[in-house]
Amino acid sequence: MQELFNIFVKSIFIDNMVFAYFLGMCSYLAVSKTVKTSMGLGIAVVFVLGITVPVDYLLNQYVLAPGALSWLGPQFAEFDLSFLSFIMFIAVIASMVQLVEMVVEKFAPALYSSLGIFLPLIAVNCAILGGSLFMQEREYVTIWHATSFGLGSGVGFLLAIVGIAAIREKIRYSNVPPALRGLGITFIITGLMGIAFMSFLGIKL
Amino acid sequence: MQSNFYIFRYASVMVIVVAAILSSAAMLLKPYQEKNKAIDKMKGILTSANIEATSENAIQLYKDNITEEIVINNKGEIVESKKKGEVEPGKSLAFSLDLKKELYKKGRGEDFNIPLMVAETNGKKIFIIPLLGTGLWGPVWGNIAVKDNFSTVVGVTFGHKAETPGLGAEIDTKIFQAQFVGKELFRDGKFQSISVVKGGIGTMPNDMQIHGVDAISGGTITSVGVSDMLANCLENYVPFINKRN
Amino acid sequence: MSKDKREKEPLFSAKNRKLLINPLHKDNPITTQVLGICSALAVTAKIKPAFVMTLSVIAVLGFANVIVSILRHGIPPRIRIIVQLVVIASLVILVDQVLKAFVFDVSKQLSVFVGLIITNCIIMGRLEAFALGNKPWPSFLDGIGNAFGYGWILIVVAFFREFLGSGTIWDYPVMEQLGVYNFGYQNNGFMILPPMALIIVGIIIWVQRSKDKSLVEEN
Repeated sequence: MQELFNIFVKSIFIDNMVFAYFLGMCSYLAVSKTVKTSMGLGIAVVFVLGITVPVDYLLNQYVLAPGALSWLGPQFAEFDLSFLSFIMFIAVIASMVQLVEMVVEKFAPALYSSLGIFLPLIAVNCAILGGSLFMQEREYVTIWHATSFGLGSGVGFLLAIVGIAAIREKIRYSNVPPALRGLGITFIITGLMGIAFMSFLGIKL
Repeated sequence: MQSNFYIFRYASVMVIVVAAILSSAAMLLKPYQEKNKAIDKMKGILTSANIEATSENAIQLYKDNITEEIVINNKGEIVESKKKGEVEPGKSLAFSLDLKKELYKKGRGEDFNIPLMVAETNGKKIFIIPLLGTGLWGPVWGNIAVKDNFSTVVGVTFGHKAETPGLGAEIDTKIFQAQFVGKELFRDGKFQSISVVKGGIGTMPNDMQIHGVDAISGGTITSVGVSDMLANCLENYVPFINKRN
Repeated sequence: MSKDKREKEPLFSAKNRKLLINPLHKDNPITTQVLGICSALAVTAKIKPAFVMTLSVIAVLGFANVIVSILRHGIPPRIRIIVQLVVIASLVILVDQVLKAFVFDVSKQLSVFVGLIITNCIIMGRLEAFALGNKPWPSFLDGIGNAFGYGWILIVVAFFREFLGSGTIWDYPVMEQLGVYNFGYQNNGFMILPPMALIIVGIIIWVQRSKDKSLVEEN
């Protein structure tokens, strides 16, 4: 239990998807104008990561990894389908995103219109695919470890995007040089936040 | 809006077409890829022992220079030993041993086997140990060649699947690898792996610098991965080395 | 291709030329459309990988745009994301497999980029925003134009990061040749870290928008 909690906290702060690995930057920069929309996107990412990581975990354990097919019978033990893992992970992610898109469109049309093009782009949000690939690489022992890693990474992204959105809302009242307003200053602030988050790197959990 | 039937039909046709293309490509190209992989592995083994090899002459050089291919178990006993010429290059058990599986067995506390290659230059034996570990984005691997005292490093090679270009990926450069030459794996008869030190070996005590190399700036996680890989793979040979002495 | 250019000049009508040129500046994928940032951070520590990445994106984006544009009437809107991703991923994996079989050394250099290309949101973004609604030829131009727009930013960022961070240009030790180390100059290791790429892109945006006021945002 404690181990699960450790993985969760670790993936929020130390292995933060945005600040430690710089994944998921596109949607992070583009949808962080207001706290409200960024909250929506953040929750969508938590949801998608929380589902795709365990699903991809099962897929990897029972279909893709070398020898994973042995449950079908001993003659399948030699199969190695890992060359398909990219496309399979992507397919799972894309279908999950499509699902989220449909759910959001149905139940929260306002959020749907404000997320615009970036909802489909969650599919190529590298944080999501990165989550699955990290999961495959780190070889978590049980599906619960993988799930807590997925959720933690999602919450890390949520934290990052809501943080920058709050800063951007405040900075609207500051006198930023006109050419730097909007995107430019966001890039620079993100860089500074990233440098600050690097101080978490040394912590061992 | 198309009917659900159309969507299902479209999706199934797409899946079948794509699966067919990708699988047949994988099946057709597999023999070539396997051959290339084997050649690449030979190149790595030869290069770590300071024998310059290209893709064209790797098989021949491997045949000429590698005098013995040994499989050892975790208790230090020799499981199989093939002398030069006994098997085709790339066909011996030691060469084709799946290090990933063996290290997985080690992690679960089961018995496992490890490979060891022997080369001979100028009448002196060089032992080459294959390595496998994890970097930031994916696996890292390599070979380390040591003198017949099993301590002094002759050369190393590293490879990686997906480390960040310009940062972690620098482990496969000559500049990084050259640092390992002359380092020691044993300290007063005890195993002491080589660590990749963040901030440079200048931060280590003077007498320990022989067991360390400079990390790559900006590639911390990959550097730690290389350190762990060295420690995790080399320690398996300690029983064998102790028995031998 | 070059033959086509001469014989069918209208292929490069004013509208089509715009598709090619706009992304280089006004509609730049990185500084205006905010696409492809992750990979811009990952490959810009040195110029060489930035250059390789640019070439791969030009090839993949051009082809993927054409393929999706050809398929655009058949793709059911509800599963379009999956279809687009499958097109990109299979294209990239196929190329990777072929390279692995026949030019292994090249594939070793490129394998790192495979994952980065598949998840590069430029490709997905352009498929979604342009290729789904346009004919193959304009889609192709749009793809190439955007890839170039992406590429030049990448190379500029990589230039500064490599020059100031490692003291080299295209792995050639410029700083050492200039002899500045003798005066106590040291490479700025900070430049190699990913946050600095963000800050450099921020500065590029600043310069670009100071010159072209029409791009300035409201707040």
